[in-house]
Amino acid sequence: MTLIDDTETLTEHPYERARPRHRLREALSFRSISAIYIFAALFLLFSLWVPSTFLDGDTWKAMLDDQAITALTAVSLVIPLSAGVFNLAIGSQVAVGSILSAWLLSQHLPIPATVTLTLVAGAAIGLATGLLIVRARIDSFIATLGVSSMLLALTTWISDGQQILDLGAAYQELATGQLFGITYPVYFLVLVALAVWYVLERTPAGRRVYATGGNLDAARLAGVRTSTTIVLSLIACGLIASAAGTLVSSRLATGDPSIGPGYLLPAFAAAFLGSTQFRGGRYNVWGTVIAVYVLATGVKGLQLAGAPVWIPDLFNGLALLLAVGMAVRRGDTGRTSAIARLLRRRRSSQEA
Amino acid sequence: MGDSASQVPRTADLPGAAGPLLRVHGLSKSFAGTKALDGVGFEVNAGEVVSVVGQNGSGKSTLVKVLAGIHTPDPGAVIEHRDIRFIHQDLGLVPGLSTIENLDIARPLGLRGFRPAKAREERQAAERMIRRFGGDFDVTEPIARITAAERTIAAIARAMSDWSPTGNVLVLDEPTAALGAAEADLLFDAVRRVAAEGAAVVFISHRLDEVLGLSDRVVALRDGKLVADVPAGEVDHDRLVALIAGSELAEFRMEHADERGRRALRARGLVTDVLRGVDLDIHEGEIVGVCGLLGSGREHLAATLFGAMDRHAGSVTVAERALKAADPAHSIRHGLAYVPADRLRQGAVMTMTAMENLTLPWLRPLRSAFGRLDRAAERGETRAWTDRVALRPPQPDRPLRLFSGGNQQKIVMAKWLRMAPAVLLLDEPTQGVDIAAKAAIHELIAEARAAGTGVLVSSTDTGEILDLCDRVLILRDGRVSAELGRHELSEARLISESLGLSTTSAPRHPLD
Ligand SMILES: Nc1ncnc2c1ncn2[C@@H]1O[C@H](COP(=O)(O)OP(=O)(O)OP(=O)(O)O)[C@@H](O)[C@H]1O
Ligand SMILES: [Mg+2]
Repeated sequence: MTLIDDTETLTEHPYERARPRHRLREALSFRSISAIYIFAALFLLFSLWVPSTFLDGDTWKAMLDDQAITALTAVSLVIPLSAGVFNLAIGSQVAVGSILSAWLLSQHLPIPATVTLTLVAGAAIGLATGLLIVRARIDSFIATLGVSSMLLALTTWISDGQQILDLGAAYQELATGQLFGITYPVYFLVLVALAVWYVLERTPAGRRVYATGGNLDAARLAGVRTSTTIVLSLIACGLIASAAGTLVSSRLATGDPSIGPGYLLPAFAAAFLGSTQFRGGRYNVWGTVIAVYVLATGVKGLQLAGAPVWIPDLFNGLALLLAVGMAVRRGDTGRTSAIARLLRRRRSSQEA
Repeated sequence: MGDSASQVPRTADLPGAAGPLLRVHGLSKSFAGTKALDGVGFEVNAGEVVSVVGQNGSGKSTLVKVLAGIHTPDPGAVIEHRDIRFIHQDLGLVPGLSTIENLDIARPLGLRGFRPAKAREERQAAERMIRRFGGDFDVTEPIARITAAERTIAAIARAMSDWSPTGNVLVLDEPTAALGAAEADLLFDAVRRVAAEGAAVVFISHRLDEVLGLSDRVVALRDGKLVADVPAGEVDHDRLVALIAGSELAEFRMEHADERGRRALRARGLVTDVLRGVDLDIHEGEIVGVCGLLGSGREHLAATLFGAMDRHAGSVTVAERALKAADPAHSIRHGLAYVPADRLRQGAVMTMTAMENLTLPWLRPLRSAFGRLDRAAERGETRAWTDRVALRPPQPDRPLRLFSGGNQQKIVMAKWLRMAPAVLLLDEPTQGVDIAAKAAIHELIAEARAAGTGVLVSSTDTGEILDLCDRVLILRDGRVSAELGRHELSEARLISESLGLSTTSAPRHPLD
């Protein structure tokens, strides 16, 4: 995206033309698109190491499909993060989406009604969380931690701690059906990512979201309805997380109460790592999506090379620390890091 | 980033008190694309107050930050100094902690490690410390909730606590920007005391009368280069202006008109924690000044009118419409605009670009098909405004926090002027702004007023009030204690009314 922006500015006013080479170099620099360079390095490494399996087209299709739900969750997380809200309930929200849809189906509800009700529930959870933050004035960190635990309780209550089995082939088709050899969730991811990107980066509403996340007081005094912005960002997040949850149960034709929480860490790792890409420290959709797939490429390559099963967790954890480390190091350069700001914000314990 | 491995500046303990306490030589600092400091060198001796002056972006704060070790200088710099204390331009206090906690009272009281805190003693010690600098506020309130002036006092008290001036260095970066004349005097007394005890003091300010009154020597920076190092006795106001600007500067003179327009804003019985029933009218094309000491309510009035702060009672009416309390978006829709004193925390989103800040309050006219932001239109409009306010450097795509204070303030002014407000509420509009930018901002205020905007200026800078205002309200103890017409205005009168020294004017109703 940044690349396109910069070529635009090349043809503009002398102001912006001041240092076009500099801007282009900046856009291509390791700092702003490190994920792409890392991807290239990983690709090269595993192409040489395990060429037969790594370079197989099916491996890549499987990975695209595998990671679509993670990417969807991470994209949903970008919205509240951009508004300065830390949504720790994201994993539980996916879990609720997955169990609720499975349970509704097992009560013989038709698929459209099931999906609709699950999405409504996701939005409602987002609304409730948002109100806790802006009305009850509970810090987002704590509010979403509390909500997360309650949602897990809800999941266990609905499912009785058991898997809900045999949701039917028609339902499974949602997440496993293919178009041109690529599964539906990948297309769905692209659509959602496009929509979120458009709203965040191309509309006044997105501007207000970033302003709210950048400085709540200043945004409010500039006429931004910051409370509404925060609540809406959590509703949108809940909606997408619920959709991701539906895909989780559809993929396996099983509602498994234990799966959702596992999305928390990869989603945060990707959103943080993504914020170090392209947009000079701002949380952003494409950086996040690319981060998900770069991390997945690394994990996949290691697995193919025979690495043990605990590799993905280790890899994601390392990536998270690396992303934050990079953002902190970036402190004195000209860029503005969302993560560094977040850490500062935590420290000064301002209310939301 | 890459220079961390290269030469580290030498920070040595200097021998005896005979030599300079601070010595800087060949100091340069480059940021990507800009050279903020370029071969700067000077010395400060014991007992000496050296003022550093220069336009916005000339490198003053960068110099301070290099001394403080926040920035690494370019290789080749020599920096030698003794124990050094700072009051940074952004004060460097922790917003979520109280004054007591920020002062780190426990140390001077000898309460180290895990010994239990003694709440009452700490509070009293903190109160004593802020009172030395004219502060009288709740030291248990978080820093984020006290006013800008109170915050400055807390920062000063912190820098000076637990520190022996003799043989050491004190650096103050625009400490008076949020202080009124009376409070600034307390600070100057403290600075002179510290210097007399043998400290070396570096003082940075845009208020030239302060510079002339306080310093022994003046160092001028222009575009990162040191262009003058002269004894203060050898310069006067005009000479100083010429040193700073590099040329004579035509000073801006406000044209005053005697007729006043229709009433633009009407406030009645405003009550907040500090205000105790304030009535006020602002007319179209009129500039109303507000003066008062710290705690008089001066620093709350504009915020309360705008709805940035809640009010307990009272009404604000604009164009016959009663405004909701504590609802900035509503106020903006009805033609109010508010420039807060605290630029960093409230005035703008520092992490966003200048353009994004400029257009934030009013994005509707920039909307095109599908709710899209028309970026060509946004750029065009931004360019018109950055030209008009002479933004330096003229790069609206830079994050706002990378601009100097004066240029940040120009963007904040521009974002409100763009909306052609009915009433413009200004809290310290030229705080931390250099003389050229100050004249530019005053000119913008004059233009807004010529277009029929009613303006309220609340300022600690009495010179500014005298220059700008048609009418001045003096606040004392949360009430309007006097109202002065343009012909009654003088510096002495403003100060004596603020202090409540004059007996001639009993509290008067400010209305016709
Ligand atoms: N972290 C940074 N990255 C890039 N440029 C910077 C950075 N900090 C400062 N600058 C630039 O360096 C120059 C000097 O800035 P500095 O803050 O020292 O000015 P100043 O003299 O203190 O101005 P003011 O009077 O407004 O406080 C400016 O052009 C500023 O934009
Ligand atoms: Mg400065």
